[in-house]
Amino acid sequence: MKVFPEDLLYSREHIWVRVDGDMATLGITDYAQESLGEILSIEFPEIDMYVERDEAFGSIESTKAVVDLIASVSGTIVSVNEDINDDIGIINSDPHDTGWLVVIEMDDMEQLDDLLDAAGYHDYIMQQEAD
Amino acid sequence: MIWRLLHYRSGDAFENMALDEAVFRETVWNNRPPTLRFYGWRNPAVSIGYFQDLDKEIHIDLCRAAGVDIVRRITGGKAVYHCDEVTYALAAGRCASLFPDDIYRTYEIVSRCLARGLYSLGIDARLAAAPPGAVSRAQRPSCCFSVPFGSELLVEGKKICGSAQTRTHGGFLQHGSLLMRFDPEKNAALMGPRDPDAARTLQSRVAAVNQVLAAPVSVEALCQALQRGFVEELGIRLVPEPLTPAEESLAARLVKKYASEAWTRRRKKDAFAPAGPF
Repeated sequence: MKVFPEDLLYSREHIWVRVDGDMATLGITDYAQESLGEILSIEFPEIDMYVERDEAFGSIESTKAVVDLIASVSGTIVSVNEDINDDIGIINSDPHDTGWLVVIEMDDMEQLDDLLDAAGYHDYIMQQEAD
Repeated sequence: MIWRLLHYRSGDAFENMALDEAVFRETVWNNRPPTLRFYGWRNPAVSIGYFQDLDKEIHIDLCRAAGVDIVRRITGGKAVYHCDEVTYALAAGRCASLFPDDIYRTYEIVSRCLARGLYSLGIDARLAAAPPGAVSRAQRPSCCFSVPFGSELLVEGKKICGSAQTRTHGGFLQHGSLLMRFDPEKNAALMGPRDPDAARTLQSRVAAVNQVLAAPVSVEALCQALQRGFVEELGIRLVPEPLTPAEESLAARLVKKYASEAWTRRRKKDAFAPAGPF
């Protein structure tokens, strides 16, 4: 049973966004972690690095694939989740909370308008699976 | 649906990986129809997965002494010794509706195509079941061919094709090796823990096309059979076309990346080092 928390925004690249002022916390969705299977490795950006929306800010490896992590918003990386260094399994077990990946200081809040709400992302997933 | 076919060519490790990435990037950036290509390895080489630890898993000194190139792939998975084999590469963008946005289902579809092609040569390859449970990092072998993952191809329980995948922006590159002949001693010597039984273990787990067939087939015959497998399984048309100038140009730049020590050694000691530009 996939989880779609109501308080998050979602991209079609399967990244969720939690907004707090001009700070955006990003992680992979429950759907993404389930599709990837067991996550083995992750490559994060450096702190203070600027990331563009729709560009890769890192990559993640599961048993048989490397997948780019695509930024949902543009801005500066201000934090990465160092707890993942101790237990990468939290991305699979708790993707929407303790398994968060990075915090971005956004410079264009209007980009949030292009993201989906929980119902919209749910519909998008259903459409993907129907295709 | 029409796909592009790039005719078989043999390159060194750096040219092969550069061309795979160039075709993949151009396909995704420009939302082009999928491209299927087959290639060989002019010099023997070991390719390692994007996140693999080169020093821990590959015997670099022995590779150098044997004239074996080492190259890091952009795809995941484990190390492969490339010598007497045919490699396939399939690049597809988001518009390729035949493929779902799902790693394992994509593996399954590609494996069905390869199996159909192999069957036409008289090889009965079956899709492996998904592994029964998670395997710890410490238990993961260095060599790709040591363990089949879900939907990879087996012949009488032995792995005959090792594949790896990368994804971005809804597109993917999947490439994989079909061995014409398998040399367990060489594989065991170049990668993985030093274990006197390693070659025997590999021998019991790996199948090669011309060691399964009573009458060996040529590289050309294998490529043609595999092409037929894709056409018949997916109902597509494969149209031979050359590389675009943009692909040629990008591949020429990427060769330098793949041949560089910085790229080959770029795996991070921890999870937090930055991604390097190419």
